[in-house]
Amino acid sequence: MGKYFEITKIYMKTQLVWRADVLFNMIFTIAKVLFAFLLWGMVFNHKELVGGFTFHGMLSYYIVSSFLSQLEMSEGVSNEIHDRIRNGTFSKYMVIPVGIEGYFMAMELGIVLFYIAFDFIAAAVWIFVFRIHFVFAASGWVVACAVLMTMLGMIFMVQLNFFLGLLTLKYQGIGTFLMIKNHLVALITGSIIPLTLFPEIIVNIMRLLPFYYVTYLPAMLLTGKCKADAIAGLIAITLWCLIMQAVIMKVQNKYFRKYDGVGI
Amino acid sequence: MNDVIIHTSNLAKRYQRYRKREGIRNSIASLWKRDYEEKIAVDHIDLTVKKGELIGLIGPNGAGKTTLIKMLTGIIAPTEGSIDVMGYYPNDMKNEFKKQYAVVMGQKSQLFFELTVNDTLRLFKEIYEIPEKDFQKNKQYFVELFGVRDLMDVQVRTLSLGERMKMELIVSLIHNPKILFLDEPTIGLDAVASKQIRKFLMEINEKNGTTIILTSHYMEDIKALCERSIVINHGVKIYDGATDKLFDRFQKNKRITVTFDDPTEDMALQTENVSILENEAHKKIYQVPKQLVKELLAELMKYEPKDIVVEEEEIGVVVERIYREGGKFHG
Repeated sequence: MGKYFEITKIYMKTQLVWRADVLFNMIFTIAKVLFAFLLWGMVFNHKELVGGFTFHGMLSYYIVSSFLSQLEMSEGVSNEIHDRIRNGTFSKYMVIPVGIEGYFMAMELGIVLFYIAFDFIAAAVWIFVFRIHFVFAASGWVVACAVLMTMLGMIFMVQLNFFLGLLTLKYQGIGTFLMIKNHLVALITGSIIPLTLFPEIIVNIMRLLPFYYVTYLPAMLLTGKCKADAIAGLIAITLWCLIMQAVIMKVQNKYFRKYDGVGI
Repeated sequence: MNDVIIHTSNLAKRYQRYRKREGIRNSIASLWKRDYEEKIAVDHIDLTVKKGELIGLIGPNGAGKTTLIKMLTGIIAPTEGSIDVMGYYPNDMKNEFKKQYAVVMGQKSQLFFELTVNDTLRLFKEIYEIPEKDFQKNKQYFVELFGVRDLMDVQVRTLSLGERMKMELIVSLIHNPKILFLDEPTIGLDAVASKQIRKFLMEINEKNGTTIILTSHYMEDIKALCERSIVINHGVKIYDGATDKLFDRFQKNKRITVTFDDPTEDMALQTENVSILENEAHKKIYQVPKQLVKELLAELMKYEPKDIVVEEEEIGVVVERIYREGGKFHG
């Protein structure tokens, strides 16, 4: 485990080098909250409730979900694998005695841990500035379920992006596909608008997909909603993680054998 | 036989590459129909390497040197043949195997450019599970050997190419690998840095008994370091034997570049078998048989040159000559 801990540490150190990035990330968090405040302020102008949310409930949801979605940076994993396979430098990961998937998990953890603190500060400041009556889950076990679900959701997203990155070994160039995937994921994880605003049939379909449990359900649980779905959600995302891991284990070695590098 | 650390038999690597005719119409047509051709990168190579050897792998661009190294390190899988490196099939990519070798590819870095070398070394200590005492001892040894103590705490991206290559070597050797694969370690380096790298490799080989397999375009690297050389062309091994014999037999000429302060037009040289490769007023380049270098230099000195540089023949020329004259030659 020591090697993975060290990988996490080195990526945390890497994040600390670029001070401007930290600053802009905080500004981005602030801008998103400001945008949500203005947008939902207009929507709630003549209404008390939208999709079962009050104005402050909606803002609370938005702040939590944007905080969580901002921590979800796993697209960097597929992009890194894709780019390195394309330019022939993926061998960097193949020649060191460490599990490649584990390396990317540890790398992601290092990046996320670093941003948690800064994004949390930015979100908290804006809750105070806009005097948002933050709606938070009252029950400790619901919060615990939400935190655990968030962690499993992030693991699933790293697994998914690792798998998609490996597809480069088969299809050579999947940059456009990855871009489309990123936009779709932003929509179906509910980080743009709550999924409850979609027709019920769509929401029911979403429940079958893992993305429902990555940002949306944890955000709903943390803002005191959908408590009844907590345990079922945990089971669902755990199953998705296991399925994804089985897929990775099945294709990983087969796909690595396709690696030819560049300049043979 | 116990001393054998690498053994390959009939090792081959073929791959397919996409072929497209020029023009936008052909680019569009290639969306649904593509033509592929098969390329043989390594063509049935038999190779045996003993512990502690320092071997030079020579060949022009595209000869198959890097592909061979990639197969020996498990980065790519062979298409055909058998391969055994320290008792492992490399492409199984077992961690126990990876802990026993190191690979340095001139233009592919293991360093974290944003961080310091000490940070990367700390990571590698954990990855290779090196005990703290051994880690400190190895680190001190390599840092002193290269004289890079002052550079250990600066950002890697601020280092020069030569300094970075030294750091790559330190990082790759920190776990005391049994085999070190080096792909063009001196590419782009100046003469001083190249010389330092060569000295360093020699010491690692002699003191630690590390087996080193080195590819290089530079004759100086191969001549200074490797007792044994393997020449590859078009994926085929065309020479495997003593480096001295190889160069004695096939490196027939030297290249002499002479520059002048004043324009020098007609030079009626008496030395035989001299061919002129470049002829400008202030600069001339000659190719001359090795044994006539002294004679030509003496003659050129009469024209009061500003500078004279004597160089080895390019590696590609030598390989071509082996291919043309020798077929498969074993020294």
